This record gives sequence, C-alpha cells and structure tokens, in this order.
Amino acid sequence: MNNPTANLRDIELRVNGRVHQLTVAHHRTLLEVLRDSLDLTGAKSGCDRGECGACTVIVGGQAVYACQMLALQVGNRPVVTVEGLANADGYHPLQDAFLARDGGQCGFCTPGFLMAAKALLDRNLEPDRDEVRRALAGNICRCNAYGAITQSVLAAARAMVARGQTQ
Amino acid sequence: MTTGPVTTSYAVVGKSVARKGLLEKLTGEARYTSDMKLEGMLHGRIVRSPHPHAEVLSVDTSRAAALPGVRALVTPFDAPQGHIAADLPVLDSRVRFVGDEVAAVAADDADIAAAALDLIRVEYRPLPHVVDAEEALQPAAPQLYPDGNLATGRPLLLERGDVEQGFAEADLVVEDVFRTPGHSPSPLEPRAALAFWEDGQLIVWKCTRGVHQDRAALASALEIDPENIRVVGPPLGAGYGAKDETRLAALAAVLAQRAGRPVRIELGRDEEFLAGRVRHAAVLRMKVGLKSDGTVTAVDCNAVLDTGAYLASGPGVLRRTAQAGLYLYTCPNVRYEGRLAYTNRPAAGSYRGLGAPQGHFALESLIDRAAGQLGIDPLDIRLRHHVRPEGQPGKRTTPPGEIIDTQPVEGGIPFSSHGLEECLRRGAGAIAWRANRRLPNSSPGAKKRGIGMSMLIYRGGPGGQSSAQIRLNRDGKIELVSGIMDVGEGASTALAQMAAESLGGAYEDVVPVFADTATTPRAPNTAGSTATFSTGTAIVQAGSEIRERLLQAASLAMDVPVEALDIRHGMAYLEADPLRNMTLAEILQSAGLDSMYAEATIVPGSPDHIVNTFGAHFAEVEVDTDTGRIRVLRYVAAHDSGRIINPNLAINQVEGGISQMLGFTLSEDLLSDGPTGVTLNPSFLEHKSPTIMDYPEMRVIFADVVDPIAPLGAKALGEPPCVGVAPAIANAVYNAIGVRFNTLPITPDRVLDALRKQREAV
Repeated sequence: MNNPTANLRDIELRVNGRVHQLTVAHHRTLLEVLRDSLDLTGAKSGCDRGECGACTVIVGGQAVYACQMLALQVGNRPVVTVEGLANADGYHPLQDAFLARDGGQCGFCTPGFLMAAKALLDRNLEPDRDEVRRALAGNICRCNAYGAITQSVLAAARAMVARGQTQ
Repeated sequence: MTTGPVTTSYAVVGKSVARKGLLEKLTGEARYTSDMKLEGMLHGRIVRSPHPHAEVLSVDTSRAAALPGVRALVTPFDAPQGHIAADLPVLDSRVRFVGDEVAAVAADDADIAAAALDLIRVEYRPLPHVVDAEEALQPAAPQLYPDGNLATGRPLLLERGDVEQGFAEADLVVEDVFRTPGHSPSPLEPRAALAFWEDGQLIVWKCTRGVHQDRAALASALEIDPENIRVVGPPLGAGYGAKDETRLAALAAVLAQRAGRPVRIELGRDEEFLAGRVRHAAVLRMKVGLKSDGTVTAVDCNAVLDTGAYLASGPGVLRRTAQAGLYLYTCPNVRYEGRLAYTNRPAAGSYRGLGAPQGHFALESLIDRAAGQLGIDPLDIRLRHHVRPEGQPGKRTTPPGEIIDTQPVEGGIPFSSHGLEECLRRGAGAIAWRANRRLPNSSPGAKKRGIGMSMLIYRGGPGGQSSAQIRLNRDGKIELVSGIMDVGEGASTALAQMAAESLGGAYEDVVPVFADTATTPRAPNTAGSTATFSTGTAIVQAGSEIRERLLQAASLAMDVPVEALDIRHGMAYLEADPLRNMTLAEILQSAGLDSMYAEATIVPGSPDHIVNTFGAHFAEVEVDTDTGRIRVLRYVAAHDSGRIINPNLAINQVEGGISQMLGFTLSEDLLSDGPTGVTLNPSFLEHKSPTIMDYPEMRVIFADVVDPIAPLGAKALGEPPCVGVAPAIANAVYNAIGVRFNTLPITPDRVLDALRKQREAV
C-alpha cells in the first residue's frame, strides 16, 4: 500500500454556516466527509455514482451530487445540507410543506429532494409544476411519492411568497 | 366485530395527520442503519461469485489476512454450519448466480475492506448454468439442486368445479401467453446490517421487515438460543418486499464475533441490483371460456415463475399469482397450475403485490380481448360479471368456525365488504369512460390516444397472530408498543391514529415503540398488506380497554355517570357541557395511578366472510408512433380499502404504487446474459426506474365502504395499487394503436417493431 499520509490534505470546509478544519485523504468525496468526518448523515449514499440524487447538497448555491464531488474541490464555497435548513426562527417552509402534505414515505430520498428544491426556490420563487419537476428530475424516489413531493414544493413556494421570504 | 368508540364521527381516524417519524427525516436527524456508528466499528465487504453456477473449491484468505487493518474473515469452509433458511446456509461452497455470496471480510475502514476483497483468492469449478425458467424445467437443463429445478418438487394445483365442462359450455374460448419481467424493487436505501456482541449476546441493527422473524433466522444460522439475540429495526429506507433476507446480518455477526468489534456491512447499489431480491419473472398461459353475453364459464391458468437461485418467498408468490383467475370474475369452473423454477439468477422475492400483478396482467388483458371479440364494452363485461358480494358459486369447504383464508379457492362464502362495483362506476365516471372510448387505432396523426381499464382483487388484511401493548403514562404520553416494523409505508402513523382513536387520546401524544425483540412483543412481518388490519385489531382492543377504565375513573372524579362522558383528543368531557373536562393525565392523577396498561393478542380474520380489497384502474395513454414512446396522460385509481385511516398517506400510497408500476409496465427489466449469466444492467440508469418526469395526472377515489370485520373498518392498501397498473395501460395501448402487448415491459423498440409488423400485414 502507498504511504497513507502522502494522500492526506488539510482543508477548510464551510458547512451550514460553520467552518471546519479537516484533514482528508485526497480521494474522499464530499459525501464521505460530510457523513463520516462531520457526522452529518442527512445526505445519503443511494448509488455512489451520481444516478439517484440521495446525496444532493448545495455547494456555492448549486445543487450537486456530493458523491460526485471530491472534498478537495469544494474550496471556500459554502456547503448547505439538510441539517442547515432549519434555523433559530424555525423550520424552513419546505420542511413545513413536506410535513403537512406528506412529501415523504420512507424518507430516504427526502434530504436530497429538499436540497434540490431549495436550490430551485433560491433562484425562482414562483416555479410552475413543470419547472419543479425538471428541477427535481435528478432525484429518484423509489416509493414514487413524486406527486406529493411536487405538491409540497409548490406549497412551500406559495408560503414563502406570501410571507415575503426569499430563502 | 369492530370495537372502538360508538360514534359516527372520528376524532383522529380519517384525518390527514402528519406522518410519525417524518419530521426527523426532514431535518436529517433520523438514523437509518447505515447512519449508525459505534466505537471501533469495522466495515464489512462481501466476495461475490463471478460465475452463474460453480463449486467453490478453495478460498485463500492469507494475503487478505496479512493486510494491515483486516480484522476478520469468513469463508464457506470455516463458517458456522447453521441455516438461515432450508436452502440457505450462512455460506455455501456452491454458488448459484453471478453475485452470490462467497466470503466476507471486515476491516478498519472501507478502503482497506475494498483492498482486501482483491486479495482474497477463490478457486471455482464452473458448472453449466441456466437463466430461463422454462428452459430450467426441461429434463436436460443444468440442475441447481439434487431434487431438480422444480421448487418443492411438484406444481401447485388449485381447482374449483370442472374447467373442461366450462370450456364445453363456452361460446368463445380465448387463450394467450403472457410474459412479465423479473424487475428489481431497488429501494433507495441499500441493505445494511450492524452487528456486535456484548456479554455473550448478539445485538443486530438491520434493514428488516420483521425483527422476530430475523431473530429466528439468525438463531438457526448461528446455532444459538434466540434469547441471546436482539434484533432492532431502525428507520427503513423502504423495501417493497425486498428486504426480507438475513444472510448479511449473519455474516456481520460472524465477523463481529471473530474480530471482537462491531461490524457494519452495507451494500453498494450494484450489489443491490446483482444480489437483491427481484420480482418473479412469469410466463402465464391463460385460457378463458365465455358465453356470448360475457358470462365467464371457465378460467384455466398455467404459470411458470422464475424463483432464481433460492426459494425465499416463492411459494407465497406462486399462490398469489393464481388469485385473479380463481376469484375476480364469477365463475364456477377455475383451474390453476403453477410451477416455481430455480434458475441461476438472483433470488426472487416478495416485491410489492407478489404474483398478483403478473396474474392480473394476464387475465385482464385476455378478458379485454374477449370483450372485443364479443362486441361488449370492457367496462360492461366487468360490471356484469365481476365477482359479487355473495362470493363465488360452489360449496364452502373450510370447516365451520375456522377462519376463512383471504385467498380462497372454495366458493359459497360471502365477502365481509365489497366495493368493487362502486370502484368500477366511480372510476369510469372520473375518466369519462363512455365519452372517451373510441375504436382501436382510430386516432389520426402520429400520436395516438386510447383508454383502457382493469380491475383487481387482493387480500384484505388478516395476517398472522398479532399483539399490541399500550401504556398511558402520568405525563399524558401514550406508548404504543408493537413488534411490527414500519417499513416506510406509514404503519406507525396509521396504527398510532387507531390507538389514539380507540383510547380517546391525542394523536400527538402517541409514541410508537416498534420493532425491537428486546422490548416489543412478537409480530408478523410487515408483509402482504396486513399490518393495519392485524396489528390494528390488537391495538383497538387494547385501546378500548384503557378507554373504558378512563371513563370509569373520570366518572368518579367528575361525579357524573359514565354515559354522560365522551373522550376525544386526550380529554374526557361532559357531552352536555364540554367545558367540564379532565385531561388524561388529570384522570390518572385523580385515580392515584402512575399509568394505565393494556395488552391484546389476537388472531385476525373471520370464520364467516372473506376479507378482501378491490379496485378498478383506468388509464389514458398517448403512443407516439414515430418514437414508440408511451406516455400515460391520465390515470384514475378507485380502491375499496374500507375506512381510510389517513387520506394523505393513502393517496400517497396509491399514487406511489401506480408510478412504481409504470416501470413494470413500460421500462424495467433485469437482464441476464444467457451465455455468462451476468446481469447486464445493474444500475438505476440502465434499469430505468420511473422518475418525477414520468408520473401521470392521477386521481384517487376511495369507495365509501366500512368493513364490519376490520379494526375501525380499515382494510389493506399497501399492495393493491400495484396490481391493476399493467393491464390498464396495456389495454389502453391496444385502444390507441390496435396492438396487444402480451410481453412486458412495453418498451419503445417493442412498440415500433409491432407497428412495423402491423403495417406489413396490411
């Protein structure tokens, strides 16, 4: 085996508003670092090859598959995971809407869908149903709760507009 | 017999309350099995066979063992000799499909475990293999087992009346061969198991649908007392029937014992496709005899199901395949002959609906064709000849007083409730059936539309013996304790609503405590759409008992007669003056009690009635004759599942089942290469599961039925939505382009091929 220390890098990751100093092997994905080094297990590993979206997080404002990004690639871009959705004021309107409209069954895909939906609403607060579906087309739900998920996102958007909330 | 509050308006049941456990999933706090970590935990990986059929001659682990960080290994030659199931030892020196488990390793981290896999040298002697079920049943086929490839050694034979007589009476006899795919359920959470030993006890957290069944399998596999095993079911990322295996946990347990440290094994997605349970691929020869008015005089079905390399739940699936033909249409003469064939493919299992989707696809497609030949509208033939509330003609054979099977063959027994006609009428109305029917292949232009329908019958809920314990505590919290596992479908929600309703408590105060062999009583697997009915019956009994005692105590405390009181939402109140009330906590305090406890164990079902659910599905499709693509535009699903406990959950369940089965109907299959036995498409992209872009506009209708046998009137709903999808869509495709597809999935290339043949035939 190669000298394990030769593969290590010191990096700084901004996750959910906090800065973390980490030493990671250069081939670690962002997903692995979130789950194993930071114990943020909301993002899931569903396929580890960028085909299911269970690992979706937001990096620098973009929804990305965390399993397809090396931790080293993140740089100083802020990372937002499902654990960062709620804040001191309460749950995010997406969380409220998903709860009220049963937007999840087994819930395994749910963090990924929430982050993909947040990335959509962060740039477009009034999507129509087709725009919602296209924005979420990279996320698989095997329970197939797609109808409830779509309704939940539309309801969250309406709630945010009604409150004048943009994030 | 329904127990529970004698009121026509329910406080909690029938309301779309928030799903229990969903909030934790929305915040990322919920810990699924692969989210769980323990101090010193090792990572396990599995060596898998590259051959479809082989003897394992030797496994050399010396180089792997020498790798720093490798802590334990297990091979077929040093594994415990116990059995997980009759045909499944912990590890076997014969492997029977590409991906079959050969050996396992545990190491300090995932990278070392992966490196160790490459260092394990296995010597195989390849054997001839077979990956087709019909081929496997030929005498010359390679044999997977000493007793041959016909599982159980003989076919399943079920009959009522005399089909030859029935065919003789028919004005029209139609028959055809139908083929359905062995597609993969692929729940988004890959299987995982975390095992460790403490003071001689084995503790396992695993993906499960039944902790007690898993404990029994582990006890058998490891040859230890089940009392020394604790199995816990963390939140499950769904299974759809695919997570009922125990070998992963057995291997984790052996590795943990050898290493003296916890071991977690989680599968990769490719492993889930390669070695996860699939649906039984089926070949069904269906023959139906009818009178010119559509009366069905005989139904004869011959089925061959591919059960893969191991038996798993094959017999149950084989039986369920029969039920459409045996029971959906009023018919005195029915026959079913079913065979399970072993093949060198992944083991098939209990994918949602078991064999009912296969059986219904064959029958409902054939009836549709017969209706066309007789000049009868497909809706009318079903309205006139569906099985009636009084059941099938014939004589009851189950002895009096014994519980009636929910999958009977015998006639002479009525249903406990029967909303099939209502489903047919209301569903047809919702899709405007009469207005939208057109002649087959009569749309102009390249994009052709059509509508089609199907109906379905399924088990209604009674499963095995079930228990529940309810404890109302001083702080007002209601602990609902059951061995049942919520597999993500919402059992904990529906059962919590039933507990709150029967007791008079607030839904928010119910705390489900489920799925832990150490603390929860024995329950059946969450399977066959039985959890709501079976465990629900126990819950309503226990909850009602506590309610009675609360009323007595409140009556004393408030100095009013019991009859003057009601309890709802956690408060007992005087019906004539609701401002005079006591919370449940206050009632306990007034009685000087720390808690109130009740438990119930019941065997669900009825000795006089068949408890079944029914449905009718309607689809409008558009076929693009240039590309072969089929879009489902509108879908109406009408279901009789008795009282609906939670409308949002129920609608989600139905819509989810429809969308899921778009895969079965239009795109999914797990393809095995004949010469090598290799699975060709083990990924989401290549297996082609439905995405958010695929679901149609859906309308869900629930029949206005309350079942008198069922707890609070509620029957099964988990699987029925999956059962009617394929024939509704296939029949709609026929209406659109005049081509019958008897083989699923109906992929674009198959559509284009059929259209070309249709043009050439003109």
